[in-house]
Amino acid sequence: MQRNKRRSLKLTGAILVAASLLLLASDNPPAQIPSLVAWTPETIAAASAGDTFRGMLLAKRCDHCHGSEGFSSVASTPNLAAMDKLATWKQVEDFRTHKRTSPAMEPIAESLSARDVADVVAYYAKLPVFQDPQDNRVFPQSRPDPSHAAIASRLVSFGDGERGIPPCQACHGPVAYRPGVPSLATQNADYVLNQLEAFAHRARANDINQPMRTIATLLTEDERHALAQYYGSGLGLQPGSSTAPR
Amino acid sequence: MTWPKLRKFLLWALVLCLIPATRYYQIDVPLLRFLKGSRPVDPLSLHLSGEFVENNLGTAQEPDGSVTVRMIAQQYLFIPHCILVPAGVPVHLRITSADAVHALTFNGTDYAVKVLPGTISEAQLQFPRPGEYKMPCREFCGAGHYAMRSELKVVRRDQFPALRPQERGNCAAQ
Repeated sequence: MQRNKRRSLKLTGAILVAASLLLLASDNPPAQIPSLVAWTPETIAAASAGDTFRGMLLAKRCDHCHGSEGFSSVASTPNLAAMDKLATWKQVEDFRTHKRTSPAMEPIAESLSARDVADVVAYYAKLPVFQDPQDNRVFPQSRPDPSHAAIASRLVSFGDGERGIPPCQACHGPVAYRPGVPSLATQNADYVLNQLEAFAHRARANDINQPMRTIATLLTEDERHALAQYYGSGLGLQPGSSTAPR
Repeated sequence: MTWPKLRKFLLWALVLCLIPATRYYQIDVPLLRFLKGSRPVDPLSLHLSGEFVENNLGTAQEPDGSVTVRMIAQQYLFIPHCILVPAGVPVHLRITSADAVHALTFNGTDYAVKVLPGTISEAQLQFPRPGEYKMPCREFCGAGHYAMRSELKVVRRDQFPALRPQERGNCAAQ
C-alpha cells in the first residue's frame, strides 16, 4: 500500500517534469503582454463610473505623496489633478497586475477594490488645474532655457516627420487625446523625464502596442530633458507653437 | 420601346447604380474582408492574444526561405518602427490597425497597403536591391498623421541574421 503510494507520487512527479520540459521546448513562446487593459466599451464604463465624494474620502490616504490638491510636493511623484479618469485607472490597474513596477504603488493598488479605484480616479479627475501662471501649484521648477524650449515646442507641436516621431500634443493634449493617455499639461519635470528614460530603457513597458517605448527610444537625451522641462514649467497648458516662448 | 420610356428607364438605372457607389466607404471593410476571406481581429485587444502580440511582431523567417513581416498601425506609428528584410526574397506582409484607417506606402516603390481596423491586410512584396525605404502613412488618420512614418531596411541576403522559428527580427535588434 505504502509502496504503491510512493510509486504513484514518483510517477506524478515524472509526468510534471516532462510536461514542464515540453512546455519549455515548444516553439510558441508565451505571449509578451504589456498590459491586461483593453479599451473595450465595458472597460471604459467600469473605469469612469466612480463616485467622486467617496473618492474624496479615500484619497485622503494619497495626500501624503500626491498632495491634497493633486499637486505633489516631490518632483518625482506625478501630479494627479485633472488627470483623465481612464489614464489614472489604467496605471492603477497595471500596478495591481504588476505590469508596471513601483515599490510604493504596487501594494497600494493591490489593497484597493475595483470600486475604490474607480472612485479615487473620479475624484482626481474633478480637481482643477490653474491656467494662471501666477497661481501655478506645480512643484516649483525653473523656467526652461530658451534653446531647450525651442526644441521641445517643435516636438510637441510638429514632432519630427523625418525620424517618424509624432507630435506629443496629438495624444497627450491639448490638441487631441486617446483613451488612457494622460494629459501632461501640469506634470512634474522630473517625473516626465524619469518615465521617458524608463520607456527608452524598457524599465517601464506597460504601453499598449509600444508607442511610448518606440518614441522614447527615438528621442535623444537632450530632447527628453527639453520635453520634461517644457511640461514641468506649465507650457503644455496651451497648444504648442513653433516659436520659443518669450 | 419609345424614347421617353427608354429615357425614364435609363435615368432610374443610373440613379440605382449611383446609390451604392456613393455608399462605398460604408461597405468597403466588410467587402474586402469577404473577398480576402480573412477572419476579423479585435483591434482593441491585439496586445492580449493572437498573431499581433508584442513578441510576434517584426520579421519572421519561413521554412521556404521567404519572410513574413507582422506589423500594427496605430495613431501615429507603425510598430515595429523599423523593419529589416533580406533583398530578393518574397516578403509576405501582414498588418492590421489598432484604431483608424491607415495606408502603408513605401517611398520609391509602387507598393501601397490599406490598413483597416478589424481586418488583416496582406501583401506580397519583394525588394531586389539593398537600401532604405521610408514608409509614410498616406491615409489621413488624425492630428499626428504627417509625422507617421517608419523605415524599412533591405539588407543583402547573407547579412540578414539567421532567425530561429520563434525569433523576430527588426532594426533595433541589429
